[in-house]
Amino acid sequence: MTASAGASTPPRATATGLFGRLLLVRLDGAGLECEHLEIPPAVAHAVIGGVGLGAALLWRFAPPGVPPLAAEAPLCVALSPLLGTPLTTTAKLAVICKSPLTDRVSDGLSSSRFALAARRLGVDAIVIVGACDRWSVLHLDESLARCRLAPAGPLLGRSPAEVGARLGAEGHPHVAAIGLAGERLCRYASLTNDGRHAGRGGAGAVLGSKRLKAITVRGDARPEVADPAAVRERARDLAARSQGMATDKYRRLGTAANLEAFDRLEILPTRNFQAASIGRARAKKIAPEGLGAALGHTRESCAGCTIGCDHRYGGTRLEYESQFALGPLCGVDDPARLIAAAAACDRLGLDTISTGGTIAFAMECAERGLAPWPLRFGDDLVPWIEAIAARDGPGDLLAEGARRLAAHVGQGSARFACQVKGLELPGYEPRTMQTNALGLAVAARGADHNRSGAYQADLQPGVDRFKADVLATPRRVIDTEDHAALLDSLILCKFLRGAIADPWAEGAELLRMTTGHDYDAEGLRAAAARIVGLRHLFNRREGWTIAEDALPERFYSEPIAGAVVDRDDLRSMVCGYYAARGYGPEGAMEDSVIDSLGLRAIVEWR
Amino acid sequence: MARDPSTGEGAAGTPGAVEVELYGLPRLLAGAERATVPAGTLAEVLRALADALPGLRGGALAGDRPSEHVRVAIDGRTIVDDPAAPIPPGSVLVMVSAQAGG
Repeated sequence: MTASAGASTPPRATATGLFGRLLLVRLDGAGLECEHLEIPPAVAHAVIGGVGLGAALLWRFAPPGVPPLAAEAPLCVALSPLLGTPLTTTAKLAVICKSPLTDRVSDGLSSSRFALAARRLGVDAIVIVGACDRWSVLHLDESLARCRLAPAGPLLGRSPAEVGARLGAEGHPHVAAIGLAGERLCRYASLTNDGRHAGRGGAGAVLGSKRLKAITVRGDARPEVADPAAVRERARDLAARSQGMATDKYRRLGTAANLEAFDRLEILPTRNFQAASIGRARAKKIAPEGLGAALGHTRESCAGCTIGCDHRYGGTRLEYESQFALGPLCGVDDPARLIAAAAACDRLGLDTISTGGTIAFAMECAERGLAPWPLRFGDDLVPWIEAIAARDGPGDLLAEGARRLAAHVGQGSARFACQVKGLELPGYEPRTMQTNALGLAVAARGADHNRSGAYQADLQPGVDRFKADVLATPRRVIDTEDHAALLDSLILCKFLRGAIADPWAEGAELLRMTTGHDYDAEGLRAAAARIVGLRHLFNRREGWTIAEDALPERFYSEPIAGAVVDRDDLRSMVCGYYAARGYGPEGAMEDSVIDSLGLRAIVEWR
Repeated sequence: MARDPSTGEGAAGTPGAVEVELYGLPRLLAGAERATVPAGTLAEVLRALADALPGLRGGALAGDRPSEHVRVAIDGRTIVDDPAAPIPPGSVLVMVSAQAGG
């Protein structure tokens, strides 16, 4: 395949922690063009990196109204100023696109050696637009002249792990790849690197729409940091803190330990949100002790991480979200069946939450006689997961996600299709976590537990999680959103949050010592609000209205533990949320809001 | 969890007692899934719990209140951290890890 390089400039590894430029890849049939483009310093400073930078890239490179799977739709990989330093948990990247599941902003984070290698391309971001005319592997290099496409033929149908192994054997050790689900444009296909997934929202389908099976990266550029001695000292300190009690749960138990506690607290979504507990005996079977006893247990770490939260059962990594979605949500309580489903999602490249959420919805449809599928709660999920990835038979419908599936099934099924903006709900029952209910409703990405940590507020003393405080809840949601925007833009792992007393002050310190720029805590608070505002602004441009900030009917009308979400209260809180954000009525963002958030340089970036 | 307010008898079946259920990190630190302790204020209940399960000291308990790493919910519903909060006989005190996520 032909390749042509655009303007190339030497890496600017100045004492900034940043290169100040991005790599733009234009795919055009059988060829590609690559060039370096400057990231204006005002933009870079305003959005930090990670999901903040990603939101700016999406605004800049996505034509307004572009269909997410169109060739013109960009897939963006955003790095961060801390990446490549010895600071623990910073070996992360963000993948940003317009979601084929939600038609709204989507971003996913993952930790990997791929992220570290991408940094050595000498850029702060990669933006891919266009499409190939045949399935290809995109080899990216620090030298634009060596960027090229190669045929992907033998890799098609292979799992991301197999693709990584094969390309590794050919001298390309740093690989991000999609599985079969991405090839078949399943709307919740993930993008995998080093066995970690940018999962939510369908980034894998966006890569598949460009007929790219995989991306490799190679380079030697290394950003220097402003104060290397301070970074080294802080890295030692942060590593020590990461070994403390605040992370003990993640290290010794993993997030899968949530399941039994959540079952007891009646916040564990069960059987498509028809219940909030699977029962203690059944929960125990698929809690870490039960899984370990049945299948064996090992522990791993992400690249560059000193916490080590990666717990594996029978060799398969399992976090709470996968455990709940492929377990209780689908009525599954058999350890082997649960792990087989998680392994299938990894192998085929599927987001586990949306996979479980969509299958659970289909199960309820089938049990209610609304659909003819031979599917019942508790069934083996693997054949259905394989059908989804291959788009075989009814799997083709399920590959569209719960919202579109509900539109197909009709008969009032949308009332129990558990999604917001098209994204299936994570593992926190909104009726018994009502701060979380608002967090899910307003989140830009759709039902989201990562860009909003509102569920955490529900487990604070003094918060009635069964009945939202209409006045206080919006601010609680905003605080968790802003906190997440900071950590996801720096990028630091959220599991480190308990070890950081003041994330704003320490975040500013970390940025000062890496970039040399004059960040401070207040500036970072403004940046976090700006990043959340930018994501909202993008959604507005793509057609968002406040009517989207709502939950499915089930949550208003079917009590769990005696609680429902009050529809009028939620609507009041949504309005209160936008008012507290300083936006206009109905979430409007007039010029004055854009200016007050400091978004002008970003929205005028051309 | 249901209890009979006239007798104060809860799941443990011990009049005048509070049953404590431990999950996640507290369970790991305690090396136990449950304990039964006399009712009282939260501080009194937690002191008795620490005597029964010393592994909870330091990590899960900060003196006479829950540490920042755990949450304690009366009957699994109301999160409490005020040492003076009454924990009635027959209550079930659910102790879980503070941080969720995943």
